[in-house]
Amino acid sequence: MKAIRLLAVLAALSLVLAACTQAADTTTTAGDGTEAPATTAPDGEETTTSAAGGEGSTTTAAGAPAGDGRLAEVQARGSLLCGVNNTVPGFGFVDETGEHVGFDIDFCRAIAAGVLGDAEAVEYVDLTAEQRFTALQAGEVDVLVRNTTFTSSRDGGLGATFLTTTFYDGQGMMVGADGGFTTIEDMTDTTICVLSGTTTELNLTARMADIPYTPLTFDENPQIQAAFIEGQCDGWTSDKSQLAGVRSAWPEDQGGPEALVILEETFSKEPLGPAVLDGDSQWAQVVDWIVLATMQAEEFGIDSTNVDTFTDTEDTNIRNFLGLPVETEEGTAPFDPGLGLAPDFAAQVITQVGNYAEIYDRNVGADSPLGLERLLNELWTNGGLHYPPPYR
Amino acid sequence: MTVEAPVFEETPPEVEPARGAVDWARKNLFNNWYNSLLTLALAVFVIWALLALVRALFSADYEIIQANLRLFMIGGFPADQLWRPWAATYCFTVLFGVVGGSLSAGARDRATEAGLPHVRTTFRQIVIRFWPIVGLIVVILSFTTTVTPTLLTIGALVAALGAYYLGRVLPRAIRRWTWLIAVVLIVAAYVALAGFGGVGWQGWGGLQLNLFLAFAGILIAFPFGLLLALGRRSPLPVIRTISVTYIEIVRGVPLITVLLAGAFAIGFLIPRDLRPSLVTRMLIAIIAFEAAYIAEVVRGGLQAVPRGQVEAAQAVGLTPWRTMRLIVLPQALRATIPAMVGQFISLFKDTTLVAVLGITELLDATFIVNSQSAYLGKGLFVVTLSFAALVFWVGSYTMSRESRRLERKLGVGER
Repeated sequence: MKAIRLLAVLAALSLVLAACTQAADTTTTAGDGTEAPATTAPDGEETTTSAAGGEGSTTTAAGAPAGDGRLAEVQARGSLLCGVNNTVPGFGFVDETGEHVGFDIDFCRAIAAGVLGDAEAVEYVDLTAEQRFTALQAGEVDVLVRNTTFTSSRDGGLGATFLTTTFYDGQGMMVGADGGFTTIEDMTDTTICVLSGTTTELNLTARMADIPYTPLTFDENPQIQAAFIEGQCDGWTSDKSQLAGVRSAWPEDQGGPEALVILEETFSKEPLGPAVLDGDSQWAQVVDWIVLATMQAEEFGIDSTNVDTFTDTEDTNIRNFLGLPVETEEGTAPFDPGLGLAPDFAAQVITQVGNYAEIYDRNVGADSPLGLERLLNELWTNGGLHYPPPYR
Repeated sequence: MTVEAPVFEETPPEVEPARGAVDWARKNLFNNWYNSLLTLALAVFVIWALLALVRALFSADYEIIQANLRLFMIGGFPADQLWRPWAATYCFTVLFGVVGGSLSAGARDRATEAGLPHVRTTFRQIVIRFWPIVGLIVVILSFTTTVTPTLLTIGALVAALGAYYLGRVLPRAIRRWTWLIAVVLIVAAYVALAGFGGVGWQGWGGLQLNLFLAFAGILIAFPFGLLLALGRRSPLPVIRTISVTYIEIVRGVPLITVLLAGAFAIGFLIPRDLRPSLVTRMLIAIIAFEAAYIAEVVRGGLQAVPRGQVEAAQAVGLTPWRTMRLIVLPQALRATIPAMVGQFISLFKDTTLVAVLGITELLDATFIVNSQSAYLGKGLFVVTLSFAALVFWVGSYTMSRESRRLERKLGVGER
């Protein structure tokens, strides 16, 4: 008798729960439509059911073309689905309140600010290394900003279109300051610690083709750190940004960061940048120009603190860039390059997120625990690789 | 570490008089030279391990857990809506209170009718019975930085006690509808979390998501499992073949495969506009997986019902449906309770597998916090993973103990 009642309860419960599923989905969908896009409640996947290119697109750009591309879809949805990492210090991780923060995350916010006019209208989709291209191919993310190296096979074989590189990284070697190594050539007959199963390991093998050495592989960085402290490793190889992160947090009782030296040589190229799905060039160029805008802003000397002071500038290039009205033959109007974005998209990006230098310093550079130097990630005028094409 | 004293069934007890610990130790630990050596070696190891553990426990830096406690419990739930998880917690404490109280009242009434004395469970007994959970709550509260969570927990305890007494004094006619109260409270908890601008389960994380996936998974999978089990015993070949095929295919595949299929295969098969969220897909995958296992558990229970029971039911003229509902299922389902709890415990632990798909449940949360700049490179994985281990151990151990109690009470093992 009791068991029957139990069964009845369970059956009723399951029915109620099943009903809840549907009710919940529809209510959240309805709720999303009426709410400001500022909420980052990650339940927007269902909202795409509304017709693409509908009323939603009017919020941003008068010049936004109606269509069924990803741009119209994002604008109709009112939020950006950004595929990210949540375990890379400085680049993409989750802070104590559960918010995503980091260098890559700021580029997600910049894209949202440019496309939707609201840097907070991002839904972060945490992706593992194995998952990231599948998620991109299945259209589950609009853009992948997940410390992903731009390579030919990923561009060609995995259906990704890589855009402007946001971070030029490269593999390096870290040694003890008292070890007496100044170049990789010095490291004959040494033990070098490396993460197993990564391209890092392959790059090491290629670089050390003529130098006898013993590789010691580990699964996790903390294990390498322990082995390094115990003196098992003469060198530690990884991406330089990662090495710098480890070095900056090196325990004080082990001599602090000064106990370690990162050798100058870089023996692999790791350009990290955003990627979108092949076959939607409008969306690709939108994302590309938003990334470029952060660099262009740095070149113009515009940042989030002084962007308001440029409203009266005489410089036509800056007026064009910020979407301020300029004199043309047809009258006074803001410059529209025809990207499908609002003319003031760059101003939105700079006001809400900042220019490249601000994003860099805040997350991985001088103002962060990682303390990475700019190196290649400098403007071309300062000897780096950032050369944003002219905005005109 | 030590060998339990053998039970002497044939020797009368007065031949082996208990003469205290020294005597017992000499007999069991030092009865010959190699046992003495083994005992000493093991004792040294145990003491060393205990010392190392105590030292690690007291010297560890728990700041990472303190700072991230909310992330561990509820993931990225919006900070300004913390009242929602608390409201849901209150719904559940009241639910446990009412159900506990009404079960206790039912036992009291049955004892009175049978003319037996009814022994009430005291508060102290409950604390002793649930000491791992009580301990875990104390540990978690010790990690909080403000007094609010402690006050709210005390409030929840008071609410549970109030609900317990309410459940006890409910008149019998209403007590029959306790299950309805439970359903209403569960719905209320969901509405508190998700309704009116809240966050649906797509946005849940931390322990909350583990519990949700485990409970929703097993509850929704149960009716499907029951149908599959009955289908497998059906005389109709089509239904039987379908059931057997489904059960054997799903049971032959690891859960992680089903989860990956849910994440990727569904992702490609269903157009993006109609695709459910990732968490919903995980829930569907878990239900599909659990249904097959529950089907086998239930089938075991069905086979435990003697053939004579069915024949007797037919002899008194019950229809097949009534035979199943009144005679077979009550006995079969009672026999499955221990196995069902075992299934639930294993599902509770398996919910951590969704971390592979980037969902921030408890285990994933304890992993990713090590990337925060304040704890970078400090090797605090040991601390955070120990915390996750403690939470899962407390949950699983408590359920396993309760299942054994229930088993004894229902006398499942004796029939």
